[in-house]
This record gives sequence, C-alpha cells and structure tokens, in this order.
Amino acid sequence: MVSFSSLEFLFRFLPIFLILYFAMPVKYRETILLVGSLVFYAVGEPVFILVLIVTTLVNYSIGMQIWKLGEGFSMHEWQKNKRKKYMTQAIALDVAVLVIFKCLAILVDNTLLPLGISFYIFKMISFQADMFRGEVWSKPSFRNVATYFTMFPQVLSGPIMRYHEGEFDRERVYSFEQFEDGIKLFVAGLGMKVLLADRLAILWNDLQMIGFQSISTPLAWLGAFAYSLRLYFDFWGYSLMASGLMVMMGFGFIENFHHPYASKSISEFYRRWHMTLGSWFRDYVYIPLGGSRCRTKRMILNLAVVWILTGIWHGNGVNYVIWGVVLGLLIILERVFYGRFLGKVPVLGNIYVLVIIPLTWIVFAITDLKQLGIYFGRLFPFLGGAGLAVNQQDIIKYMQDYSIYLIAGVLLCIPAVSRFLKKHKKNPIIVLLCVILFWTSIYFLSSSAGNPFMYLNF
Amino acid sequence: MVFKMNLIKKCPLFILLVSTGLIFTIIGIIGRMNVYASQEYDPLTAPILSVMFTGINDDIYPWHVFMGGDAQTMALGNGPKSEIETGILEAEKEEPQEIASAKEEDVSSDTLEKEPPERAAMASQTPEVTEALEEENKAEPFERQEPLRESTKEEIQNHVSADVYGDAGVLRAAEYEFSTVDESYFDDALFIGDSRTVGLRNYTDLSEHADFYCETSLTIYKVLEENFDNQGTVEEALENHDYGKIYLMVGINELGRGTTEDFMAEYTRVVDRLHELEPEAKIFVQGVMRVSGEKSSSDAIFNNSNINARNNAIATLADNDQFFYIDVNEAVCDEEGNLISEYTFDQIHLLGAYYDLWKQFLLVHGVEDN
Repeated sequence: MVSFSSLEFLFRFLPIFLILYFAMPVKYRETILLVGSLVFYAVGEPVFILVLIVTTLVNYSIGMQIWKLGEGFSMHEWQKNKRKKYMTQAIALDVAVLVIFKCLAILVDNTLLPLGISFYIFKMISFQADMFRGEVWSKPSFRNVATYFTMFPQVLSGPIMRYHEGEFDRERVYSFEQFEDGIKLFVAGLGMKVLLADRLAILWNDLQMIGFQSISTPLAWLGAFAYSLRLYFDFWGYSLMASGLMVMMGFGFIENFHHPYASKSISEFYRRWHMTLGSWFRDYVYIPLGGSRCRTKRMILNLAVVWILTGIWHGNGVNYVIWGVVLGLLIILERVFYGRFLGKVPVLGNIYVLVIIPLTWIVFAITDLKQLGIYFGRLFPFLGGAGLAVNQQDIIKYMQDYSIYLIAGVLLCIPAVSRFLKKHKKNPIIVLLCVILFWTSIYFLSSSAGNPFMYLNF
Repeated sequence: MVFKMNLIKKCPLFILLVSTGLIFTIIGIIGRMNVYASQEYDPLTAPILSVMFTGINDDIYPWHVFMGGDAQTMALGNGPKSEIETGILEAEKEEPQEIASAKEEDVSSDTLEKEPPERAAMASQTPEVTEALEEENKAEPFERQEPLRESTKEEIQNHVSADVYGDAGVLRAAEYEFSTVDESYFDDALFIGDSRTVGLRNYTDLSEHADFYCETSLTIYKVLEENFDNQGTVEEALENHDYGKIYLMVGINELGRGTTEDFMAEYTRVVDRLHELEPEAKIFVQGVMRVSGEKSSSDAIFNNSNINARNNAIATLADNDQFFYIDVNEAVCDEEGNLISEYTFDQIHLLGAYYDLWKQFLLVHGVEDN
C-alpha cells in the first residue's frame, strides 16, 4: 500500500482518506492528515514507525525550546547561545539516528533501514535550522509539526518540503479547480511511473539478465540512456504524484524537477534535478560552510563535502560514494575551469550533459564494482572491454521493443512539450488523455499486480 | 442541476474518472458472475474493477460480460487454470481427463499401427541397414507410460505440480547412448521454446545452423497456434522445410496453470502433432531448465520440485526411437539440482555467456541416423 502506484493505495486508502478529509470541517483536516499519515506509514513499517514517532516527539520538544528562547523583541547573548546549543543538539541527534540506521543496514541487513528515514530526518534537520534562523513564522503546534514530519505524500521519498512551505495554520485554498489540478498532476505522475519508468525498467532488467559482458556496445549506450530516462520518470513521476496529492489537499505545489535534461552544465543539472534535496544541501551544508563567498580553495572543499555527503545519502554502497565524488569533481572543474566556456558555445553544453549524466547514472545503478567495470568496458570497448558471447544484433531487438517508450520519454524531456501540455491543461483532449493515461496505468497495475517484473513471462 | 454543470466545468477529470470507475465497477461486479468468475481477485488489495483489466489480459473483453453463455464457455476454455479456481473440481474434471487419456490411447495405438508398415517399407528397401539398426537398438521403442496416480485436491488447489509419473520415464530415457556430433548436425534442426530458447538463439551460434521458433512466454498451449514474429507458425515451418530434428523446451510458464495431467495431455498432443507433420524427424523433448536455489526456495510456483514433476512427465514420452528426452539441467545445475547461481542474474535465465553450456550439452546428445 505504501506505493502510490499500487491498487491498494489508489482504490482503498486514497478514496477513504479524501472523503474523510473533505467531510471534516477545515479545522480538523490537519488532524485527519496526521492520523491518515500514521496509518499509511504503519502499514508499510509497523515496527519502525516507533523511530518516526520518537524522533518527531524529540524534535518537537527541542524545537519548542528554541522557539521559547526566541520569543520577545530582543534576545540576549546567552539566549542566542542557548538556542544555538539546542539546535546543534537536535541536529546531532537526528544525524546520529540516520547514521546508526544506515550502518545497521550496511552491517546487518538492508531491511533494518526504516522507510523514508533519509527523507524525514532531513525534514527534521531543516526544521531545527529554520526554527533557529527564524524562518518558522508562527509558533508551531505539535499537531502541525507532527503532520509536517509524517505527512504521507512526502514521508517515503520527499519532496523535502520546508516547514513554512506547508502553510500550516494559514487559510488554505480549497476549491474544485485546485482539486482538479492536483488530480491532473497525480495522473501525470502515475502515467510516467507506470507507463514509462516501469516499462523501461524491464530493459535494464534484461541487460542484467543477459549479463553486461554479453551486451553489444550500442546496447550498452542504449541501456545508459534508457536507465537515465527510467530514473527520471520514476522519480519525477513520484514527485508529481506526491505534490499532486498535496495540491488536492489544498497545499501549494512543490517543484522537485525542472527539465534537468535540458541543462547546459552538470551544476545546472543538479539545480534542476531533485531540487528540494539540492536546495537542502545548499541551505544547510554548503552555505553554512561558507558557500562560494570565500577563497577558491575553501569553495572547492565545501563542494567536495556537499557531494561526498550527497553520495553517501543516496545509498549504501561504494558506488554511491564514487558517484558523488565524480559529480563533485565535475562541478568543481566547471566552476574553476570550463564552466563559462560551456555556456558560450550553443548546444555544446547540452551534448556535454547528455553524454556525461547517463555515464554517471551507470555508476549510480551498478552497486557491484566489478560489474561496473565490465559495463564501462562495454561502453568503451577500445579500453579493453572485450565482451563474451556478444550478440551484435541485440540493439535491433531492443530498439524495436522500446522505441515507443524512449521516444515518449525524450519528448517529455523537452521543456517546450511540457509547457505546451501545461498551458492547455484544460483542453478537453488533454483531459481525455489523462483519463486514458489513468486507466491504462491501472491496466498495467492490475495485470502485473504492482510488480513490473511479474508482467514478464519467461 | 446548476451545481452539477458547474462541477463538470470545474473538475471534468475528477468527474470522468469517478464515472468511468463506476462503470468499470459495475462491469466487474456483473462479470464476476460469469466471464470474470475465474479471475484471481483479492478484495482487500484490489478494487473489483481490476478483474476487468486482468480479464483483458486474458483476452476476455468487457463486452463479453453482456454476451452471456458464449462468453462463459470462452472464459472456461481459457485453460485449466479457470477450472481449478472456480472450484469445479473432481466431478466435472474427470470427464475431460478421460477424453484426454482416451485420446492418448488412440494416438499411441495410431503410432503403433503406423510404425510397422514404415518399418516394413524400410526393411524391404535396405534389409541390411535395418538389421544393423535393430542390432544397435535392440530394444523395441518404449511404449508410453501411464501416470501412477492422479493429482490430489490439495495439490490442485495449491498450484502444486504433482509428480504423478515418478522418475521411471527419466531413467528409461537415460538408457539411450547419445553420440557426439558437430555443428552441421543442427543444419536440419528446429528449436521451439520460450525465453530460455530465445537466449540459446541470441547468445550462441546455433542459429547459424538451426531454425528457431521461440518467443518469450510461449507455453505448450500456444506452440501450435503461435504466429512467431516474421516467421509464421510451426506448422507452416514444418510444411515448408524438411527437418531432421525438432527440439522442444517449454513448460516453465505453465507451472502455475493446470495440473501435471492437463499439461501432459497438451504436451502429448503437441508432440504427436509435430510427429504427424514431420514423421521422419527425431523429436527431442527437453526437460525444463530449473531455477536457482534462491528462487526455488522462495517461490510457491516457480520452484524446482514443480519443474521436476513436469520433467518426469515429459520424459515418459521418450521412446528412444523417434522421441528422445534430454535434460540440460545436467550441464547447468549443482549437486542439489539447482541452477548454479553464478550462471544467472534473475535466478531463472542463464546469463548470455553461459548459453554455450547448453549448446555443448546438445553437441554431446546427438542421435545419429543410420
């Protein structure tokens, strides 16, 4: 049930939740959201929900200490110091929880990592920092803070919303138009996830099934591009579903992806990809370290810290660290050397991004370093990556089978296309398209019971 | 009324989704009583309308719901799966089985009748060769074995493939002494199979010699009807070419479907049809390749005990004269009979590089014409 693209969520949890939510008077809706979110999380994580509850209680109580010390017109030095101390303690605690569970997952078993912990802990850290910095504007109630940490659209995979973006305690817009907009976002996200990402995932699964040593070089490149699209539509689709749910409930839209593949540099790419994570690292790590308003050496160090942390945050494997280091390196090189040059020559930047980013995704995708080496050998056979039992014609079959998804994916990466769709969102044809998208997704979900690989026969 | 108009204007998508959802739900509820009765459905995890979509996946379309009787037979004709799940057990099941076994007898008596004249013809042409042949294969072709027992109700309900034949067929088939051949041996071979055979085609050079009629998710129920991409049907292939060997490996996709008896009845029918179309060809019924231990111990359907039960059944078709049973598992499994885990990523298919093991296995399991 914990996946938005599951029949249980779509036809059991969500309708019941929405009916209760809108049947309640406005002042109780936050409570319904909180209770609904706890139910949602408990279904997926019946034991580790305790971690979420305990961290929520602790963060709220420390946060309130920070708030109390900040009340009044002016603060004494001791108050400022004490606030800082509280904030540091809270953040240290949050980081410790995250690190402990990550280590348990690496050393003992992956199932020991509570669902969504990387995301809700980051929300908690941002909450403490925002409290300290005075970016939480009115005294937060426990109900609101708990709702913010646990809300079901965001608890598993973000977006990492800031507390003030939640507009708690303020009049939210409840209108049919807003609800309709939310549904459209949700359906668009569902379609991307089920009809594009899940289909393209089968291609990647096929490559693993064949074994990387036996794929042809063209197929290795197709695999890299297909994986890049799959990851994008998986995560963008998820983010749209999450934000769509929020919009349906009357919250504002949180943008998490802004046409990343149309970027002209790697740094630009990561300002447009998983934007709430990028801005989190910017606001709570990079800038506090001194950002770029310091000597070049220091800036390089700051960037390196941010990107190593980003790599570690993404998963438990050496490959994620390598991935973060490579990206950090590329971004530092852009800053120091060739960044300006990329911007000046038209199309060069685009080509650079479209070649480099898929290669970095391959590092992200393959956790086994030996296999990673083999894959790069197939991408660049002149570097000595001789294949084994390679079928040179394999690319033809995969182009035939997947070109429809690849073409649809590429089209959706073009900013003008999605701008056009957004502009005409009220057009009956687009509305009808949404209906078709929705039911086609349900068809795939029904016949594969939620697991795209179940759909595969042998 | 005004309110409604307003609603349609303001949130048309919402209204459309809810109304189509209602229509699909009604179709699902009505269909549940006839055409969708056999669709797997769990009210806790899925909406009733999902049966409409799983139905479409099985070629039962929503309009069949309103076509009454015809559609009923259509759905039931959809394979043995439906019979089990609707709970039409023993009583009604026995009848088709009897027919099937009666057919089987017909066929085997047919072949018995057919063979002597052929042999007589051969004998009249080249008596020496026949003598030599008979000396080498002293034994008469084996007769087909009958199952030792029937699948039990529990086995049927739990999708367990019953080992109704035991390993007698396998042991009998193993008595044959296969010879080592070279690649040109496959010049007149036809391979029929599912995704495993697709792998054999794509990742060995056998396709330079043999013809491959294979497709992912092929089942024994579709072998004869399937229109293979750019190739046509197996029957067309057999009409247009003279094949000396036909290799068949299907059976993993059918594991969740029907009993061993159902599977075997169809398998026998297909093999006999192939023989009828190409009487001279040696038919190699191949044991289904097993899955890895990891998969086998975690999957209620796709496990090696089910595969072995079906392989034991398939092996009974071998007469070591026209029909041969060979089992590639000898070449790709460990001592416990599981597919060796280093040879596979998905626990089901060989990695591309390891299909050569299968090819090498085939090269030492040839049957030479005398």
